[in-house]
Amino acid sequence: MLFSRTARVLAAASFLAAPLCAAEPAASMVRISTTSQQPDYNSPWSPGSIGQGVGAGFVISGKRIMTNAHVVGNATFITVLKEGDPNPWEARVLHIAHDCDLAILQVYDESFFEGTQPLEFGGIPALESEVSVYGYPIGGDRLSVTRGIVSRVDFITYSHSEVDSHLAIQIDAAINPGNSGGPVMQNGKVVGVAFQGFRGDVAQNVGYMIPTPVVRRFLQDAEDGTYDRYMDLAATYFPLLNPAQRAALGLADTDGGVLVGSVFDGGATDGKLRAGDVILSVDGRPIASDGKIELDGERVEMAEAFERKFKGDKAELEIVRDGKKEKVALEMDRPWPFEMQARSYDKRPRYVAVGGLVFQPLNRDFLDTRKDVRTRLRYFFDNFVTDHLYREHPEVIVLSDVLRDPANTYARPFTDNIVSKINGKDIRTLQDVSAAFSEEREFHVVELLGEGRPIVLESAALPEAEQRIKLRYGVMQPQNL
Amino acid sequence: MRSSISKIFIIAVSLSATAPSYGMESLRGVLDRMRSAPSPAPAAEQRATETKPASETPASETPAAEASEAKPDEEKPAAAQPPVVRVNVAAQASNFTQPWRKNPRVIRQGLGVVLVDGRILVTAELVADHIDVELEKPDTAMKAAATVEVIDYDANLALLSAPSADFLQSISGARLDETVSVGDRVDIMQLEPNGRPVTTPATVTTIEVGSYPVDENAFLLFRLSVPLQSRENSFTLPAFKDGRLVGLVMQYFGPTQTATLVPAPVIEQFLKAAAKKPYAGFPRAGLTFYDTRDPQLRRYLKLPDGAGGAYVAKVLPGSPADAAGIKVGDVLLSVDGRAIDQDGNYQDERFGKISLAHYVSTSVEVGQQIPIVAWRDGAEVKLEGALAPRDRSRMVSQPYIFDREPDYVVVGGIVFSELSRQFLREFGRNWPEDAPLKLVYLDRFQSEMPADRGRIVFISNVLSSPNNIGYEGLGFEVVDEINGRPIRSLADVATAVDNPKDGFHRIRLAEDPGLLVLDVEGSKADEERLKKQYGLDSLRRLESQD
Repeated sequence: MLFSRTARVLAAASFLAAPLCAAEPAASMVRISTTSQQPDYNSPWSPGSIGQGVGAGFVISGKRIMTNAHVVGNATFITVLKEGDPNPWEARVLHIAHDCDLAILQVYDESFFEGTQPLEFGGIPALESEVSVYGYPIGGDRLSVTRGIVSRVDFITYSHSEVDSHLAIQIDAAINPGNSGGPVMQNGKVVGVAFQGFRGDVAQNVGYMIPTPVVRRFLQDAEDGTYDRYMDLAATYFPLLNPAQRAALGLADTDGGVLVGSVFDGGATDGKLRAGDVILSVDGRPIASDGKIELDGERVEMAEAFERKFKGDKAELEIVRDGKKEKVALEMDRPWPFEMQARSYDKRPRYVAVGGLVFQPLNRDFLDTRKDVRTRLRYFFDNFVTDHLYREHPEVIVLSDVLRDPANTYARPFTDNIVSKINGKDIRTLQDVSAAFSEEREFHVVELLGEGRPIVLESAALPEAEQRIKLRYGVMQPQNL
Repeated sequence: MRSSISKIFIIAVSLSATAPSYGMESLRGVLDRMRSAPSPAPAAEQRATETKPASETPASETPAAEASEAKPDEEKPAAAQPPVVRVNVAAQASNFTQPWRKNPRVIRQGLGVVLVDGRILVTAELVADHIDVELEKPDTAMKAAATVEVIDYDANLALLSAPSADFLQSISGARLDETVSVGDRVDIMQLEPNGRPVTTPATVTTIEVGSYPVDENAFLLFRLSVPLQSRENSFTLPAFKDGRLVGLVMQYFGPTQTATLVPAPVIEQFLKAAAKKPYAGFPRAGLTFYDTRDPQLRRYLKLPDGAGGAYVAKVLPGSPADAAGIKVGDVLLSVDGRAIDQDGNYQDERFGKISLAHYVSTSVEVGQQIPIVAWRDGAEVKLEGALAPRDRSRMVSQPYIFDREPDYVVVGGIVFSELSRQFLREFGRNWPEDAPLKLVYLDRFQSEMPADRGRIVFISNVLSSPNNIGYEGLGFEVVDEINGRPIRSLADVATAVDNPKDGFHRIRLAEDPGLLVLDVEGSKADEERLKKQYGLDSLRRLESQD
């Protein structure tokens, strides 16, 4: 399943702090304040900048609070407030799912939950039916309620990770920063968790909530104490609407089926499916030629059948390969194997710094620090999976910075190039960089992809250079692997 | 975009010498736009009407005495005629995203320099994709059709000829300057609407090797500091010193008032090459190099102290450098007996230290054997090679295509095209960002591909028809194979689709969705309908295919 880079979607965490007052369903509402530390991918050795945030949450069964992952991602300190109680209570993250933007919090002192009312979850609300959104959005201090109708139920990209797509419900109630994590209610039950919207200059009256199937899946996945993430086919598939294409693949017009475009290494279908296979059905449910299946009486994306699987579940596919029907049993035991295209949270940037040369793995967070991105870097990022670049470069190691020092004067023009070899050894991971430099030799030689000229560092000059760089740039640790 | 990454086709330029060509706006952009009209006729009329009031009431900044002096044209002595003619060009480029279409017609108006032999020198950009080239004498407005005799887009120069020798009789041709150096004053010539020459003094600020606007080839160029005004016929402007031609302005950047010139030494080499038929072009080596200033690199390479050397970063496969046995990692110490310094410069008799690229492009004859001394594995090696013009037929993606229509093949409504930078440029000024990333990548890094890669064929459009239903969302996918045949050119596509198997065309893509299939009969039956519906004369154009 492939993903586009959409920066337009606005994650709705606000940066306001103020007291509030009660409203319906006040007894369940929680205002979440966080202190968070954003990692600094420009200076990966730096602890990062500290910021404050406010979001919404609500009490659910088992003395837990549900909110969005983006409300508490990168948080170093979390407090919660309930309606009618002036005291902040310290909370911690119990489970966090960055792939579906949900999190569960616990309060250290469980007496917090005295007088609160856990909310219950409902189903998928009907199109055009009315819903109410509760939260603490910008524009005031108190609990806010907005009302709207259900506009659409569809698969969309969850902007928290920017690579995961799941079911989401579009509503026309305003969802603004600070609404994030708040419940969307209908008939006294939660039918969704407000989580993202568009900026006003892109689209109006478009807000999105995470529907209860996604919420329930998260709760069920985390039940055993560990959140395992979504399992993924790690393959692409395409509709088969062209009659000639169908005929050449040996399909009857009534067969339905989708064409497998690519199968990626290390995923659930690796070794099981091949490009050019046609998937006819999943778990006995026929797949229409537009990629839809029937599930609970609704025509939904075939992906939905896999969305509902948990780690260790099985899936049975019927496929056509080389004109013959076959059965394929899949073990759904692996999530999407490539994390570099996803935004990451709660992790410190990884790097190696030697003689002022800084090496970092290419990933979304790193790329976001760049205004102009060299064509080769853009290509390696965008096509990392589709062109199977991960085979040669499990990690794409970039010479990300040259910290000015006499030891590296001539290396500066080469920043943002991809490292191919160091000291004659292929560089496939950040560990390789560290290992290659640990070798005792007179010259360290760094070779870059597509650049004929190597960067040479004389070992004899390094100890002094490291000392200077530590002092001037504050690189206290030479690496974080 | 960073200019340092666009080095692939710079044949010999050091990293520091790469020109910031992205920031420069050519005169075409600044001045020609003001004169552009939808068709040639209105433009000419417009100018004619403007001429009258200008000669009657002089522009305010013109001294009255000078203006009255210029009034009666016939009183001017013939010798006062500057060696220039107006060159008015109607041009129309093909559209490379929809290869059966043409882009809007444009009018470009510049000044051509009349040479001693009666031919007229202009920039190649002025006459690119020309439909009609018209010469106009500044004093009498007499017009004549011109023929483009020789054109070199790498060096941005072209030679035109007038229909008869009489036409230019009253004008004595210009000779090339051989003296200008940095700091000298030169005069940029423009014409007023009444044909009177106006000169703007300019200062030569830099003489260096840099990339030219059409391709990224490196040649000698002069940079000038000059406050140029927008006037008609300013697409190409000559610069003179003491009546001799210093060069042609090819780019002008308004905010900083700087211009770049194709200088006389490049023009001289062009004229020499143009004397031979067929025109072969400028000699190139086919390599890129870096400086060797870095003392750590020098010690690593065991380069002797005090020696110079240019570090060879890239050798184009099949190029003269490749044939001479030059390898990536070699350090060039001398070429044709000229010592190369740490920056890749040699000592030129006229300009002093200047890039080796200038020597290669202007001082050596094509085919002439030249000795090369290189440093390899800690010792000197002696090599020998002959320079040759660039062999564009071997290129995976052509850096430019002018004066011909793009090839294409339509099968069942799917349009196949060959990748070229001309296609990518259709995505606008910011094409490196806006064009499909994979195609930009393949174009830019084409020299890293295997020597037998051939050209890159991709799906440029889908002309929807019942036969290709389900494929309407396709665009820019690279094609690997059709009907079992590897695809390395559009000619391969034509051959492959003429030889289908069991009633299907099977198109294998290098990317998702992987396999497309068309019904052979259905595609045939669709042909007439497609032609009619989309207005195509032909479903194939294979003019440039071997």
